[in-house]
Amino acid sequence: MNSSRSIRQNARPDVLPNFRNLGIVLRILLISNGLAVLQAIQLANAWTDVAQRLMQIAALLTPVLLTSLMLLWAAQPWLNRLPYRQGALAVMALVVVLTLTIYEFGGELYSPAGSSKYYFDEARYALFSVMVCGILLLYFRLRTKMLSRALHEARLQILRARIRPHFLFNTINAVLGIVRAQPKKAETALEDMADLFRMAMSDARDLVPLSREIQLSKQYIALEQLRMGERLSVDWQMQDVPEQALIPPLLLQPLLENAVYHGIEALPQGGSIKINLRRSGDELRLTVENPCVERGTSASGSHGTGDFQGNYESERSTPPAAGNKQRSNNKMALQNIRERLDLLFDAEARYQVESGNNFYRVEIILPYVKERPS
Amino acid sequence: MTTVELAMRIFIVDDEPPARNRLRDLLSDCRNQLALDVVGEAGNGQEALDKLAEISADVVLLDIRMPQMDGIELAQHLQKLPKPPVIIFTTAYDAYAIKAFELHAIDYLLKPIRLGRLFDALNRAREAVPVQIEVLRDLLPEPRNNLSIHERGKIHLIPIEQVLYLRAELKYVTVRTTEREYLIEESLNVLEKEFNARFVRIHRNCLAAKDAIEGFEKGGEEGESGWMVKLKGLEELLAISRRQQHIVKEFS
Repeated sequence: MNSSRSIRQNARPDVLPNFRNLGIVLRILLISNGLAVLQAIQLANAWTDVAQRLMQIAALLTPVLLTSLMLLWAAQPWLNRLPYRQGALAVMALVVVLTLTIYEFGGELYSPAGSSKYYFDEARYALFSVMVCGILLLYFRLRTKMLSRALHEARLQILRARIRPHFLFNTINAVLGIVRAQPKKAETALEDMADLFRMAMSDARDLVPLSREIQLSKQYIALEQLRMGERLSVDWQMQDVPEQALIPPLLLQPLLENAVYHGIEALPQGGSIKINLRRSGDELRLTVENPCVERGTSASGSHGTGDFQGNYESERSTPPAAGNKQRSNNKMALQNIRERLDLLFDAEARYQVESGNNFYRVEIILPYVKERPS
Repeated sequence: MTTVELAMRIFIVDDEPPARNRLRDLLSDCRNQLALDVVGEAGNGQEALDKLAEISADVVLLDIRMPQMDGIELAQHLQKLPKPPVIIFTTAYDAYAIKAFELHAIDYLLKPIRLGRLFDALNRAREAVPVQIEVLRDLLPEPRNNLSIHERGKIHLIPIEQVLYLRAELKYVTVRTTEREYLIEESLNVLEKEFNARFVRIHRNCLAAKDAIEGFEKGGEEGESGWMVKLKGLEELLAISRRQQHIVKEFS
């Protein structure tokens, strides 16, 4: 419960950035140093002078930046409990105090002996730090606002794109096809379908245990096997997988759906989807690999779907009307996963696609989030 | 026509076994009010072509999305049968195809299929005429995967990637593969438009497969000083017309 809440805070625009996140820290470093470069150019008399000026600025900026980040890292839980306005003020106050303290202790490093501008300098640096803080906080606020709109739409998209209408109608048709001969099997199928849609309609911002997602994926595969019979098989490989690890819901299932829709369905003999889940250190790696129609004969497969999956990354614009529909579906599903990962984990989650002549592989790497006892 | 109403012979094509099952169930429900016979079923395009060469059907219920050869391409090949069947497409969700069906008044059934809709479609099929190949071709935005010919009562498929060249002679087009040649009754201009990604026009009457081009030779025969194309796995050289000489530069 606890961890799902801390993730959710990121999703609201009126919440301070998570200073313990690597991506956020990197962004702070980059932006503030970028501003310093601009300032150096502004002060310099010639291009050769810029480096000199930058050194002067960095002499004060770097210690302030590093100590602020360290203190913010430590103060994160406390800051989280404050309302946004107070939190932002607290961050600014912290940085101003740090700037002045470091300036004070720096002594002659920052104010050469005999300088009469002592008070002017103090006021000036305090003003600078407030401005830089303001810019950064505004940036993070806008960024989360932008990303959280994507998240807001995610729920709708889940129904529209991730669980495809194609899947819904075909599955209902398949259930109707067996309901007279095997009523028991039809019952199970409908129950699986209910679970799948319940998950799709739930709040996309809550994290769920990995074991739940695995179970859901198995239910999904069972439904597809109902339609495709022996053409579809799945090879689960799990090494040292912490079942209680928390992941965003419907992360694995859409990948499987892509693998079925673009890979297995286009192959007359079917094939096997390889799912590999493993933990390495603080990371969780999910890999889904499926065979697809060979590129050389890519025209085969209904509407040549095997090809789009492999090529959608490279933005090829050849397939015409009917193809584009399916391609954009695939793209929407993957895009959606990417945005959710960005929002929830920033730079700590990665996403890789590798496609060969007759296979397609997606790998998602995300931080291992444990269920914290609340 | 005999005065006795003959049972309608129906053939089912769908790659999913439960979907075929469903259609069989519904067809047996129709039987009380409509004389019909399910004469067979197939799980893919090739199987359907083989079986329909043996048994004739009045109506084919045909799924659109199937591996290897989709329903719309299969429908085009089926039109080459001596007595082409009436085709009723079935689909779960294919917005593009549905729009096209509406436009050309082609019958289709949405999955999950309802008994009433199936019954109506079968009744309409009695009066329906087979769909024109040209219309079907418009439905499919992508080129076919196979060319087809009707040979000794069977429909023979020629995978397009095996075709080395297409050459127009009189009212036929010669289709050349490494093994042999076939004659099809299609227009070279239409073929050029459909397969322009795969073939290049080297002569007024000839399209050559781009992938098969091995090299070019100066042909001195018949007093012509033009270039000739050498294709992989083929002894014969093809002449390039004066107007198409520029392709030598593009491909070598």
